[in-house]
Amino acid sequence: MGMKQTLDVLNRMEVEGVIDRYAIGGAVGAYNYIEPAVTEDLDILVSFESSPAAPRTGLITLEPILTYLRQKGYSEFQKEGLIIEGWAVQFLPVANDLDAEALAQAEDVEIRINPKEDPVKTRVLRPEHLVATALRVGRPKDLIRITQFLEGQAVDIRPLCDVIERHHLKDAWRAFCRRAGITDPCELHFKP
Amino acid sequence: MSHRKPAAYPDVSDILARKAEGRREIAGRSFGEKIAMVEKLRERLAPLKRAREQRRESERSRGPSGPRR
Repeated sequence: MGMKQTLDVLNRMEVEGVIDRYAIGGAVGAYNYIEPAVTEDLDILVSFESSPAAPRTGLITLEPILTYLRQKGYSEFQKEGLIIEGWAVQFLPVANDLDAEALAQAEDVEIRINPKEDPVKTRVLRPEHLVATALRVGRPKDLIRITQFLEGQAVDIRPLCDVIERHHLKDAWRAFCRRAGITDPCELHFKP
Repeated sequence: MSHRKPAAYPDVSDILARKAEGRREIAGRSFGEKIAMVEKLRERLAPLKRAREQRRESERSRGPSGPRR
């Protein structure tokens, strides 16, 4: 029981068409780039576009996912997360253009968690999308994560500024820079 | 009238530098290594988490007027 097994379940869901495409976001996604922080949740950005159960009404339901997982024996919730092999997985359907772009551009990675186990393939959001999403969510822990990305030079400034501008997050970004006491690294990149 | 000597504090800059170096070293590990590290940490923290949940539960059952720590 552990992340490898959790990702195996998610990969099977993708193969079986329960979900269209998924990528790891949130704190665990950030592990790919910065110092890890302990978290209970595994945030999974997910799309249903080619799923037969795709909604036509604009209302998104996680019911097909939950039904599938219930049949596999996963029915215990911890807050908003469904426990899959020890991790509380929170499925976050694509809900805006930033999510859609982040999922489309997510990086394929192969990770080996335990030397005794096979590696597992998965996808992780790119750093600029993790930072932009953290900026959009804007809780104190999200802002700390942005600072870690910047301090660790774990995000390229140019693509980050492009994402911020493209998704209308300039005001939130400038407010973050003021609060963090940093010179806005995007000021030269933003279009007037 | 007494003059207090200014407090003498030890220089901890080397400790802080080592901590920063440790953070950089951890940040540079592979994705899989970091996940494994957090999974082990979660196991070690589990008793503390259970104790915190039990404390919160007993605070809830005492209600808002109960003693708080």
